[in-house]
Formats: sequence, structure tokens, C-alpha cells
Amino acid sequence: MRGHWAVVVATAAARRTLSDRAGLAVGTLFYLLVTGVISTVWRTAAGESDTGLVAGYSAAALGWYLAASEVTAVAINPRLIEAIGEDIAGGAVESEMLRPAPVVGVRLAAALGTALPRIACCAVGGSALALATAGSPPDAAGLALAAPALVLGVACNVATQHAAAAAAFWLRDAKSAWFLYQKFVFMLGGLLLPIEVLPGWLERVATLLPFAAMAYVPGRLASGHVEPGLLLVQVGWLAVMTALAALAFARGERRLQAVGA
Amino acid sequence: MTRASTARAVGATFRAAAAEAFANRASFWSQATIMILNDVAWVGFWVVFFHEVGSLRGWEADDVLLLFSVLTTAAGLVLGLLANARRIGALAGDGELDATLTLPVPPLAHLLARRVEPVHIGDTLFGIGLFALAGSPTPTRTAMFVLAAVAGAAVMVGFVVAIQSLAFFAGRNEGGDLGVHAVILLASYPAELFRGLPRAVLYSVVPAAFVSTVPATLVSDFDLTAAAGLLAAATLSVLTGWSVFTVGLRRYTSGAAWSRA
Amino acid sequence: MTKAFPTGRGRARRMVEAVRDVSFTVAPGERVAYIGPNGAGKSTSIKVLTGILHATAGDVRVLGLVPWRQRRQLARRIGTLFGQRSQLWSELTPRQSYRMLASIHGLDPSRQDARLGELGELLDAAHLFDQPVRSMSLGQRMRCELAACMLHEPDVLFLDEPTIGLDLLAKQRFRQLLVRLNVESGTTTFLTSHDVADVEAVAERVVVMNHGRIIYDDAVAAMRRTLLATKLVEVRLAAPAGPLALEGVTVVEHDDTHARLVVDTGRRSVRDVLDTVLDGWPVADISVTDPPLEQVITEVYNAPDTPDTPDTPDTPDTPGDAAGSPAAAGPGPAAPAAAGPGHAAPVPEGTAT
Repeated sequence: MRGHWAVVVATAAARRTLSDRAGLAVGTLFYLLVTGVISTVWRTAAGESDTGLVAGYSAAALGWYLAASEVTAVAINPRLIEAIGEDIAGGAVESEMLRPAPVVGVRLAAALGTALPRIACCAVGGSALALATAGSPPDAAGLALAAPALVLGVACNVATQHAAAAAAFWLRDAKSAWFLYQKFVFMLGGLLLPIEVLPGWLERVATLLPFAAMAYVPGRLASGHVEPGLLLVQVGWLAVMTALAALAFARGERRLQAVGA
Repeated sequence: MTRASTARAVGATFRAAAAEAFANRASFWSQATIMILNDVAWVGFWVVFFHEVGSLRGWEADDVLLLFSVLTTAAGLVLGLLANARRIGALAGDGELDATLTLPVPPLAHLLARRVEPVHIGDTLFGIGLFALAGSPTPTRTAMFVLAAVAGAAVMVGFVVAIQSLAFFAGRNEGGDLGVHAVILLASYPAELFRGLPRAVLYSVVPAAFVSTVPATLVSDFDLTAAAGLLAAATLSVLTGWSVFTVGLRRYTSGAAWSRA
Repeated sequence: MTKAFPTGRGRARRMVEAVRDVSFTVAPGERVAYIGPNGAGKSTSIKVLTGILHATAGDVRVLGLVPWRQRRQLARRIGTLFGQRSQLWSELTPRQSYRMLASIHGLDPSRQDARLGELGELLDAAHLFDQPVRSMSLGQRMRCELAACMLHEPDVLFLDEPTIGLDLLAKQRFRQLLVRLNVESGTTTFLTSHDVADVEAVAERVVVMNHGRIIYDDAVAAMRRTLLATKLVEVRLAAPAGPLALEGVTVVEHDDTHARLVVDTGRRSVRDVLDTVLDGWPVADISVTDPPLEQVITEVYNAPDTPDTPDTPDTPDTPGDAAGSPAAAGPGPAAPAAAGPGHAAPVPEGTAT
């Protein structure tokens, strides 16, 4: 069955995440803390504004936006780029190349499987937090669409990080890059603020980059904007970044074969 | 051992730690620079925020930037110069305290002096730079800024040592790391944003308000009561950290710290 | 001394003795090897002796001090080398680390330079003192580590698995240096190891541990003689020879050019065997050796637990002295133990990736 190995790998990874209950609890707690704080900041801002809105979002909408957008930060290892770089430099990728399945495919399946239980926990916790602090969701349909958007957003994030980290095939030191990558997601991905808050030119740049697919799309949907087309945007970026990552890894693998680690 | 000779020993340890951190100049500066860029991104966030929002519970852009400069300077002192503070849990868990225990020095002082982390030195450099650029530095304000940052660092290091030392009792766990992230996260925003229980927490159990809000307010608007409160908080925090570590160390040396299922 | 650790949670909680009723005395200037298989309790013992852990029961004194109570005082008079942990800082030169250590030990700066000169010569490491540690081989690094722990002229040197990871030549060299240090400076040397060759080359006396107890304690020379009454006879044959059947002799190997015999000297004297072989076989060469110490010690590990062997007699004014009293540790059965913190490393709580 095509894709069968992907399901197996993802399931195994999800099981492993579920078995580390303490880690799952701590991660969810951290997510709730971060979301609670940033949500307070923006809801206060909306409350103090004359219109009760910030960039067109009400306080309630902002509460739900951030509950959704913050998930992508917690669902995956923030140092994923660093980890990928180490796997490349340390030779783990070489062992992966010996397997009959594509390296990038297996890694994506594993990362997504690892993230799924965390996404689920954060979705539940985040909804409870938003209900308590921001009230009922502005639109149930939007919230329903936000669920698959969360998964797609995390998948985009993982694929993009692999494309970025593939630089380690050549540079041998991707270590501190994750810091900067994170900032791109925070600011241009809509994680810390809806991209509508950005100055016009920057907002246009953000819509042209894959980062918005990771946090902004789930947030936009959860905040009551029923725009199903956004899911297609995510699918598109996922395809592009996966292809890029696969290409970069293939080139890198050829280099490993020629030159060694 | 006399106080003077202890001070000399700790000083020599710190000098060696600094020498080691600086041994690879290129690496030191590249790591520090990445952190500076990271902090610049946060300034970007605040600029965008206040461009949209104007003011928040009486806090304006300048006030928040001053707070951020105090926080980054203080955090850099703790995480950069006293870098082992956040690693006490890991050091205890990996048995790396043994080497310190075989030396004729007070263990906590030696541990804290023993490691300097270049990446967070970038935070302190950034904080000082931000104050110089946006903090309206007059001689009085500069002196207050230095005292404020040092006091904030004292509050923070006491808290971090205490929470990391809980590993002696509860075993190696991610809770200690969560505590470190939490205090930094909460100190990144003015305490006035919060109300009720969360605000009470910030002034007590997780003294984030004393790390940034109170010190920053003192720089722009000196108040004797607040200054006394900050001094008391700093003293209490340091004493708490030292006490928890000392009691925890007794459990370590008895081997009881190794009781795990 | 007895050292027990709590394990398990709730109802399953019990005390596990890593070290049980261990009693011995070490004289000044002695070279003692403390050996045993993994989990025997060696690292736990050395941690109790250096004050890192405190004993659950019993009386321990090193240089007249109780290690865990007077730890910092003791730290000035002992040197420690834990094989896998470094006193030297990898980005600095040894000299830079020594400067820091000297300050920690309160050494006089003038004395420090002279001492480094002595150690550099003694350990043939002077040319290494100004190289960054990360650029050294492990063997070179260990010599510098030895200098680090001898810097403050300690009375007792504790070494925990010091030759681990070294290649054969480096090990031999390191062992020679240990002996030399002991002979020239009179420093009592106490080393733990699971490498029997360390024992052979360095120690005058060996204490064998297993399952947290001492199962043997005597001079190294005596060990072979008393524990294993066998001899090995190696024969090189000038021409193929017929079979050999002698009571008390086991023919381990026998081909056209060579034979190896194990003689149970309790049942057959070596002389008899030599006479028979030289008379009946076309011998080109013959040698008689003791069994390798490795084999001896393996036999000791595998022997059923024997009652305590007599202690070496107390000598007056012993600076190193660990007398035990057989107090039980805590509630629950004293199970044959896993060891202490160094071995029973708790499983980390899963890393989030």
C-alpha cells in the first residue's frame, strides 16, 4: 500500500510521544502559559482601543486566534533545525539512506506523528483557556476548519525546517539558525500577532512566505473567519516545501556519498 | 577556608570560565550576535505592537523598551555569566556535581562561577545597547539602570537556583527548565497587564515582576518604597535559592537523590 | 561501611545496599587496587571515601577525617582522578587550569611553579602544559590530569577507572607513572578498576569486591599462589608427539607443533610433569608459567561467597582507615545490589523531539 510506511512510522512516533506523559504534560503547561500571557497582552490592547478592535480582531477573536497560532510553536521541537543538522553532521542520515524509504518522507512522517498527540492536548487545553478568558468561539465552523489547519500547519513547519536544515549538508553548522528561523515564524508566520497588524508592505511579504501557513492560517480560522481556501494554501506550501526538502536532501545525500560525512 | 581565600578561589574559577568561553573568538561573537539579532526581533515586535496599539495600561513603547533592556541585561548576567544556575538539575542528574564536591570550595559558588555561556552574553550586550539608544541615558538613569539590572539578576538567579535544585528532591525533570522559561516569559511584559491571581503570582512565587517591571519603573521614576521592596525581594530570592540548594545537596550526598522508579 | 540507596516508589520502596559491611585499612604510602565487576560497588566506595556520599552505617576515616563531614578539609589533602571526568578545561591549556586549581587549593604562587616543574619532569608532560587540552590525545590528557590532582601535594590519591579508554601503550605508560609517583612522593594510591592489568602493574595489594562485599583482600603476589594452585606448561614440539595421560594434568591443546598443559599442583608436582614430558616427547622448548591474573580473579568472582578473609593487620598511625561495623542499612531485605549513582543512572524522562 502506497504510503504504508508513512503510517507505520507516524503511528510509532505518536505512541512514543504518548508514552512520555510527563513530557506531554510539561509541554502542554508551557503552551498554556505562553498562550495565556500573549493572549492577555492582545486582549488588553483590544479592550483599551476605542473600537474594541485591533487590526479588525475583537478581544474574543484574538483570544481564539492565539490559542490556535501558538500550537505550532509547542507541537514540534524548537531546535529541530539543530537536531537535523546534527543528524547530518553526525552521520545518522547516512544510516537512514540505507533504508528503502525516502529519507525526507520518513522524517516528515515521524515528526508529524510525534506532534499529533501534542497538537491534540494543546487543542483541548487551548480551547478551555480561550473559553475561560475570551468567551465562546466567534464561529464554530471556523473552529472546525482550524483543526485540520493545525495539522497542516505543523506539517508545513516541519517540511520547511528540513529544507532550511539541509544547508547543514554543506555548512556543517546549522546550530544557531533555529533561533532566527523561530523569529521568522513568530513575526511573519503570525504566531505572536495576526499578520494584519504588520505594516502594509511587510504584510504583503508575509503572505508570500511559507511561514504564514504555519500559524496564521489556523489562527485566522479559529478567530471566526471562515475561509476554507486557506487550507488549500497550506496544502500548496506543504507540497512546495516538501519537494524542496527532498531535493536538498537528495543533493546532500549525493554529496555524502561522494565526499563522506 | 577564609572568606578572602574563598573569594580568590571563586574569582580564579570565574576567570578560567571566561577564558574558556572566549577561547574561540569567532564562535563567541557569532553566538552573541545571533542572540542580539534575536533580541532585535523582539524590539521589532514591540515597535509593530505599539504602532498599532498606542499604549497599554499606561505603558508606552519607551517604557516597554526600557523594561526589555533591563530584562535582557539581567537575564544575560544570569544565563551568561552564571550559566550553571539553569543547569543544576542536569548536573545533579548526570553526576557531574561529584567533581565540584571533591574541591575545597563552597559548592554553589564554584558551580555558578564555573561556566560562562557566550550566547547569553549577547543578551547583556544588547540590553546595554538598547538602554543607550532608547533609554535616555543620563548619569543618574545609567547608575539606576546598572543597579536595577543587578537587582533583577539577583532575583532571577535565586529563583532559577531554587527551582533547579528541586531536582535533588523530585529527580531530573523538565519542570526546572519550564520554571526558567516561565520567569523569563513573564518578565518580558509589564506586570500591570495582569490582574488578580496571575499578578499576585508575579510578585511572589514566580517573582518576574521584581526581575523587570519594578527595576525598570525605578529607573524612570525612583520611589524609596519600591526600591526597598526590590532589595528585599532580591535578598529573599538569593537566600531561598541558596537554602534549597544546600538542603538538596545533602540529599545528593546521601545518595537519596537517586531514588527513582 | 555500608551504603544503601532507596529505590522504587510507594509500596515498592526499599533500600538496596550498594556496599555492605566493607572493612579495610590502608597504610600510608601503600598502593591498593580495588577491583570488581560492574555493579560491585567500587565507585560507591570511592565516593564515600572522598566525601561525595555519606555511608549509611559504619565508621569511615580518611587521614583521620570523616569524609562527608569534613569534606572540604579532606579535599585539601587528597587528589582525585575520576576516569571519565576531567579537571582540565578543554578550551584552555593545562597551565591555565592549574592556575585556577592552585588558587582553589590556596597554593603559594612561588611553590606552584616549582611544583609544576617537578610534575612536568616526573610525568614527562612539561611540553604539554601549554597546549590546549582539546588538541591532546587521551593518553597525553591523562598525564596532565594526573598532574592536576597532584598539584597540591596530596597525601592520598584516589583514582576511579583511570585507564579507561586508553590504548595499550598509553595504559602501560600511565601505570608506570602511577608507580613512580607513589615511590618518589610517598602518596598513598587507591585505585578502582575493572582492568586486571592495572592491578598487576600498579598495586601491591588488591581488594576484590563483588555484590557489594569484599571477597578477597591480600597482597597481589600472594593472590596467585593461594588462590589458584595451577601452573601452565607450554611445550614447543620438534616433531609430532603421542598423547599424554597423567593424573592431575589437563591437556588443553595438542597439535603437531605445540601443546599446552594445565597442571593441578595439588595432585601432581610440576617436576613430575616436566620429567614425563621431557622423557617422552621431542621437546624443542618448554616453559612453566603462572596462570594469568585475569583467570585468577575470574575464579574469585565466580567462587561462592566465602566468609570474610582476615583483614591485614592494623598498623599504628594509619592515616587511611575504614573500619566497618556490621549495622544493617534500613528496612526491607538487603538485596544483592545494583551499585550507586554512577551505575544506576535513572532513566531520563523521555526527551521531547
